[in-house]
Amino acid sequence: MEEQNVQLEQTLGNIQKLVDNVETVIRGKRMQIQYVLTALLAKGHILMEDNPGTGKTVMAKTLAKSIAGIQGGEASFKRIQFTPDLLPMDLIGSHIFDDVKKEFVFKKGPLFCNLLLADEINRASPKVQSALLECMAEHQITMGETTYPLEKLFFTIATQNPVEMEGTYPLPAAQLDRFFIKIYFGYVDEDTELNIYKDYLGIQNNLDTIKQVLTMNEILFLQQQTEKVFIHDEIITGVRNIVRDTRKHPDIVLGASTRSGITFLKCLKAFALVNGRTFVTEDDLNQLTSAVLEHRMIFRNKEAKQKALAGILSKELDRLSRLKITTNANTYAQSPL
Amino acid sequence: MKIGRVHSWKKVLAQLLLLALPTVILFFYLLWNLNRFYTILENEWLKQGCYFMVGIVIATVFYAWRFRFITTVALLVLIYFGIYHYVGSITVGEFDAFYLSVQFIVFIFLFSAGWLAGFGFSRSKYFTIFWSVLLLTVQIVVVSKTSDIKVNALISAFAPVLAYSFYIIYTAELIRNMNEDETRFSCFIIKRITGFLLVMLVMFLVIFNFFKSDFKAIEKEWGNAQANYDKGNDKKENMNQTDAHGNMSNKDQTKLSGSLSKDKQLVFVAKLDNYFDDGKTPNPLYFTSCYYTKFDTLTQTFERDSLMPYNDLFEPDVSRIPLYFAKSDSVVIKNTFATKNRKVVIADVYKVILPPSKYMAPSTGFFCQPMSVPREYKEQYKSSYRAKMWVSELNSAYFVYNPAGNVQLEKFQELRFQKLREVKKIAGPDKKFMDYYTFMPRNAEYKKITELARKVTANSPLPIDKMIAIRDYFLSKDEYKQPLFKYSDNPGIPGLPSANKLTYFLFENRKGYCAYFAGATLFMLRSLGIPSRVVAGYLTVDRSSKNPGWYWFYANQAHAWVQVYFQDYGWIDFDTTVPDVNTQQATQPDGTPPSNMPQTYLVADGEVINVDTTKKQIQMSVEKLLYHDKDFLPSGKREILTDVSIATITADTGAVKLSSLKKGMHITAVSFAEILKNILPDKKDNLEAVVNRLPLPVPIDEVKVMSKEELQKRNKKKEEAVGEPIDWIKAGWVVLLVIAMLVVLLFLSPWFIWQFLNAKAGSVNSQKAYNSYRASLYYLNQLGYSRDNKGPQEYAYSIDLKFGSEFSQFSSLYQKVKYSSQPLSESDISTINEFYKPFIKLVRGKTKWTIRFSKFLNIYNTIHYFSHPKLNS
Repeated sequence: MEEQNVQLEQTLGNIQKLVDNVETVIRGKRMQIQYVLTALLAKGHILMEDNPGTGKTVMAKTLAKSIAGIQGGEASFKRIQFTPDLLPMDLIGSHIFDDVKKEFVFKKGPLFCNLLLADEINRASPKVQSALLECMAEHQITMGETTYPLEKLFFTIATQNPVEMEGTYPLPAAQLDRFFIKIYFGYVDEDTELNIYKDYLGIQNNLDTIKQVLTMNEILFLQQQTEKVFIHDEIITGVRNIVRDTRKHPDIVLGASTRSGITFLKCLKAFALVNGRTFVTEDDLNQLTSAVLEHRMIFRNKEAKQKALAGILSKELDRLSRLKITTNANTYAQSPL
Repeated sequence: MKIGRVHSWKKVLAQLLLLALPTVILFFYLLWNLNRFYTILENEWLKQGCYFMVGIVIATVFYAWRFRFITTVALLVLIYFGIYHYVGSITVGEFDAFYLSVQFIVFIFLFSAGWLAGFGFSRSKYFTIFWSVLLLTVQIVVVSKTSDIKVNALISAFAPVLAYSFYIIYTAELIRNMNEDETRFSCFIIKRITGFLLVMLVMFLVIFNFFKSDFKAIEKEWGNAQANYDKGNDKKENMNQTDAHGNMSNKDQTKLSGSLSKDKQLVFVAKLDNYFDDGKTPNPLYFTSCYYTKFDTLTQTFERDSLMPYNDLFEPDVSRIPLYFAKSDSVVIKNTFATKNRKVVIADVYKVILPPSKYMAPSTGFFCQPMSVPREYKEQYKSSYRAKMWVSELNSAYFVYNPAGNVQLEKFQELRFQKLREVKKIAGPDKKFMDYYTFMPRNAEYKKITELARKVTANSPLPIDKMIAIRDYFLSKDEYKQPLFKYSDNPGIPGLPSANKLTYFLFENRKGYCAYFAGATLFMLRSLGIPSRVVAGYLTVDRSSKNPGWYWFYANQAHAWVQVYFQDYGWIDFDTTVPDVNTQQATQPDGTPPSNMPQTYLVADGEVINVDTTKKQIQMSVEKLLYHDKDFLPSGKREILTDVSIATITADTGAVKLSSLKKGMHITAVSFAEILKNILPDKKDNLEAVVNRLPLPVPIDEVKVMSKEELQKRNKKKEEAVGEPIDWIKAGWVVLLVIAMLVVLLFLSPWFIWQFLNAKAGSVNSQKAYNSYRASLYYLNQLGYSRDNKGPQEYAYSIDLKFGSEFSQFSSLYQKVKYSSQPLSESDISTINEFYKPFIKLVRGKTKWTIRFSKFLNIYNTIHYFSHPKLNS
């Protein structure tokens, strides 16, 4: 236990280093980096949506380079550019006839990697999309009679482009549900942008010479530890309230599901760790609500999308902030990490 | 189409119970109040309250769905219009149509008011404020319309509405912000409202305690308020009754006689010491009860008016004056403005069914002294009093009632007219007086009266001639030699209910009773610019030659006539009512008069000090002395020796013996002895001087022994009498002060809350972190840095950026305390403990005090701090 604690302290420190490390390349995007890591630690996947050229791909690359692989090398990173004519086989792999062995052998596709960047996921046909999303959920691939497990650490960063919507297949709500977090990348602020222009060569250099801060094992360890992050009963109640409020809100057509609630809790715990804490606070709730819940719901209109969830959240934050300090009766409570 | 809901059933229920119900209750009260003042409402406040209730309930429930206001109201108006037309088509006869349409308009008005209130409570945020202001305005209008503005009227009008306003604004806000998902919402709301009511209660208690002495007087008035309400009921009955007969209502008539019916009940008996110049022929005078100086055109009612300028009506509460002690008011005499041909006349009044408190005397009474009724007449007469009046020598009931060809009387009349002809022009003491007493409504109906008055008085230049011309007009005969005007108790009503009864009387029907004649005369005079008023009272008939000066008053003698103002001569009675052939001939039975009331020269009030049964003398202290109708109060202890050898000694239980008088008993000694008649007090005399001049022992004729209860009652009465003139300007100040205090309290409430939170934050307990955090949050919020939608850490960073504080460190520790199970380290605990005070000091230091002051007392910030964010915002 003691040993583990020491290890946890170190890895928590390393997470901060990882964030700093990625930030040397992706500047002024600390929040987004934290979200990505949250999805990673919660054993989920992330969907990034924004205009081209905001640094989505670089982000994924940098992250992959920052994690040391098991055999010393970096974590395996694959990138698939989704197009309408892409087939499921192109992702999963296929059986190829081996002349020597006189039999069909399975040639693994790009899904068998640690870090997958699924670029412009909404351009592929629904068939491909669902194949990918199934793998993401099941962590395994079944071809014919054989089942091939994916890598222990399998993390997908999908991106989609909100402009140029012709010829795209928007992901249905049920499939969007598979992504733990959806973030908007957004443009950087003016000062940072000026810095980037002044130093654009440096960024490229940084990407090449990026340090490996965390090992894959450490990530796996953190993923394990995430489950043990302490979460107060009132925060759980808060999650329950928020989820239920989304179902009742007049401007929300489809509210959040119970599965969303569970995902939310997982993300909260991971987010606490990413922020170097071993307990969840109001801040986590504040910062994660829209990232975790918004893409799972259908709103009445655009205005509602901007306001409804914020209203629900502020109501809940208000409740929590007025709450007196209570000793926790949480049955899931573990001894302090 | 499915229509979405705005409020859940729970919320609608809360609105109905907590907003609509109190509103409906208040409305019942308001309508009840309004019904007392406006006849058009027909005294159906229960029904009207129900209209409002139905409106508010339907609207509250209806607008719980997403309905638009304008379209729904347009629909409602359409429905009203339809019903109105339908009702118009089925009613037969003008009267029904008129009645129904008035009722329907009242219904529409109240139902719409309810509807609007329901909508407002359901949807609008600021409606309650607007609503409270509206109700207060309505109350102000109603109160200003009432004839007698008294403190109790003010309080009963404003206190409920004020309390309601506070309540409704608070509760509506509470319900608007209610968390519908809170499972124990009802518990929460009951807690809040109970708290609110407690605060109100405490506030009112504190205020009442603080101004106890001032409110005592008001409280007493409240006791009397009951009587006023009774009066209201009287009016109602009377109004209903007279309306059924088509009579003009004469509000206080009921109070005078019991009913308008020609009742032969004896009301009172009076001895009037008024004689013609020959000193033998009695000159009867009309007995005045009150003046009707206002005419309500809407209800066709003559009314009393407390705003009468130069009030010359002396109205003491006779039952409150101690026996034999007098009350007088010289202001009344001053207000008559009469200097010529006036004299002081004495009248003794024996009440039969006249209320004990009522004072009745020929105009203008200024003095009242309750007397004891001689024992043998106690069964017949309830009580008696002596009245003194400042009477015009030109007044006489003979003239005003019926000259009837009596030579002596006609001579007197002519004399009187000659005198009054000296008044060449119409004038009053000032413009206010003239404006008030010559006021008349302006419309076509009254123009007709003006034209008639001009025609009738065309040849009469002097005011008195005009008056005579008008009287003659009423007595004139038509072309068939029949009297133009006839007396009738049931003159009937004009065909149209809204028609003016006066013009109907003057131009068509020409039948009526005294009030019609008096009213018509009044407006004819006023249209000529002659100041005049209607008097209600009793006409005096001299039927008895046996007992000169004694007059019997029966219920059917209740009467109304006119008084006209002549400069220097004052108000002079004129009666234009034509003789009623029927009643004039039926003579009333006269009884035997009680023995003459002797003139009391001395009344002494005090305690028995020593009783000498052999000499039949009593040594008594004097606490109060009445000598030749003048009051004296002793400056010190003063004793007199009295001779009671011929005195009758009475107690409540009846006659008692002298020997039963004991030291310390309280007695009133009365003397009628002739020797005192010529020992007149000087103006400068005090009690000592008077007593020194008295022959000792003082002969006493009557001794009344006061029982303890009576004494207590009297003392109480005295106390009350002291507090009686309620200074309602002062009461107004008190009300203003109370409101000001409430406002100040409201303004200071942010500061009080801060003090509370601050004190809590200072205390050391397990919740210290929480309290410190809340107090800091409140302090920052008051200074304009509210947390709003920010997360705690985000907010803390922004504060640190502003003030260079260490709020974020504390905030994160606070979050740790709140949400983690980890124990705190020593340094963490000390950080928490030592954060609060330096932080507040730092923030205070970095904010200018002017900004701090202005922002801190901004109640909106406080409301913002305590209000919960809304889901739909």
